[in-house]
Amino acid sequence: MSQMAVQDAPSAAAPNKDAKVCIGVKNLDFFYGSFQGLKNINMNFFDRQVTAMIGPSGCGKSTLLRVFNRIYSLYPDQRATGEVMLDGRNIISNNVDINELRARIGMVFQKPTPFPMSIYDNCAFGMRLYEKLSKSELDDRVEQALRKAALWDEVKDKLKQSGMGLSGGQQQRMCIARTIAQQPDVILFDEPTSALDPISTGKIEELIEELRADFSIVIVTHNMQQAARISQYTAFMYLGELIEFGPTTKIFMDPEQKRTLDYVTGRFG
Amino acid sequence: MVAVYERSYQNATKVTRKANPFGFDPIFAALSKAAAITVLVLLAGIMASMIYGGWPAFREFGLGFLTGTQWDTMNDRYGGLPAIIGTLSTALIAMMIGVPLSLGTAIYLTQLAPAWFKRPVGTAVELLAAVPSIIYGMWGLFVFVPLFAAYFQVPVSQVVEGMPILGTILYARSPSGLGILSAGIILAFMIVPFIASLTRDMLDQIPTVLRESAYGIGCTTWEVVRHVLLPQAGVSIVGAIMLGLGRALGETMAVTFVIGNANRLSASIMDPGSTIASRIASEFNEALGMQMNALIGLGCVLFFVTFVVLVIARILVSRVKQY
Repeated sequence: MSQMAVQDAPSAAAPNKDAKVCIGVKNLDFFYGSFQGLKNINMNFFDRQVTAMIGPSGCGKSTLLRVFNRIYSLYPDQRATGEVMLDGRNIISNNVDINELRARIGMVFQKPTPFPMSIYDNCAFGMRLYEKLSKSELDDRVEQALRKAALWDEVKDKLKQSGMGLSGGQQQRMCIARTIAQQPDVILFDEPTSALDPISTGKIEELIEELRADFSIVIVTHNMQQAARISQYTAFMYLGELIEFGPTTKIFMDPEQKRTLDYVTGRFG
Repeated sequence: MVAVYERSYQNATKVTRKANPFGFDPIFAALSKAAAITVLVLLAGIMASMIYGGWPAFREFGLGFLTGTQWDTMNDRYGGLPAIIGTLSTALIAMMIGVPLSLGTAIYLTQLAPAWFKRPVGTAVELLAAVPSIIYGMWGLFVFVPLFAAYFQVPVSQVVEGMPILGTILYARSPSGLGILSAGIILAFMIVPFIASLTRDMLDQIPTVLRESAYGIGCTTWEVVRHVLLPQAGVSIVGAIMLGLGRALGETMAVTFVIGNANRLSASIMDPGSTIASRIASEFNEALGMQMNALIGLGCVLFFVTFVVLVIARILVSRVKQY
């Protein structure tokens, strides 16, 4: 048991103890019709830290992620109650401008989602919606975003080509570039590497590590090693409940709950 | 256990599979080949007999068969221009009215409609697609045409009378309700369910993550539809529209009912006219000699026009950027 724990030893940077709270979740319940997907979640997400959400399939980690950008509002039978505070506003209340919220909270999905347009237009898409930028400002921001997403060198000569023509890993980095080009406060990653090969996965992980300097990051992952490698905080969820939340080192090396220990050592899940 | 397993494994007879030359496979291959060849022979046969039947008319009138405006059964002079123009203009009107209606229906059904409303409207669209064209024709003649004459043709003709261009295009000399515009509108009703249900299926096939991802960036529904969903389904939607156009060009029964079957060319879309299909349908029974040849010749032209539409559709589809 202890051997397993050592094998999974977290290798990410230590958490910043002084980080401010970025998203505060209080008494959050979530319903799919009559099924309760999240039960009384209370936790804080910290500014410019990577928080990993782990747990078996169906435990509610993706559901929680989808609350933060209100993507669940697309489906009339899904609803959330409680408090999710961002900058002093409860984002799940009805008087929030959902589109503006989504522009501030970017999301990257399980599979790459290139839009049917050129690489350049993909990256400029969000900015064009929300900001009036001149051509040169737009060019700069697109280049910056692609550089941050470690994709610039691979695509700088074919910006006008379709985004669909890139490899899966490149497409996913383009989607990340599209998200960071909008300069959001938070980036949500919903199993961003589950459709990628190990090399592309490694690149995305490195990227997340670097993006931490500028953005608060929440990542849902099925891969516990991935959580251990890249996150400062980890939350373990099970059957819609938050079982344990704390610094990644603690969750993986010395968890307080028996169920967390069983999960991170691979005994169930 | 292990011993038993090994023994039975050793005793098992070696199975080899050989192709049986007298089995079902050769028959199956021959039958499917025959089926494929039948289609080719049919097409070639139809084309050949159409050209053969229309040849006397082509030879007699030459290019005048396409450009002539007289369709004179007394003197056996035949020019197909009014019917050709009628076919193209009714189809054009049908597309102009039908395509926006279809796309609007499909987008509403897939993106905006509440769940309880989706099913009845979706079913209605599919039922409309299954209505036989004779029903559209009857409804058009007995219900739509009188209303159209009273509430559209008469007032519009009064308004546009004497105006420079509109006064020609929209003026009805005899506001009977029958005419090119009525036929185009009926055709639009007929192709809407077609294009709408195909487009709806295309939009439904777009992966949910792509849609969520567009919303996740902060798009409004309009922006998602305009910038992501329609371009994503673009090629297939062009295909659906072309299928509708094919139907509009060849539709016979409903058009024959409402177009008025006039053999003269008029600059007004309110005036009666005819399409190739309606001309053939209304004259074929009594046609003899050169008139029969001329009708078959018109059929050839329709064949050619639909072929050209198909080719243009292919070119369009290949030019839509493949993202």
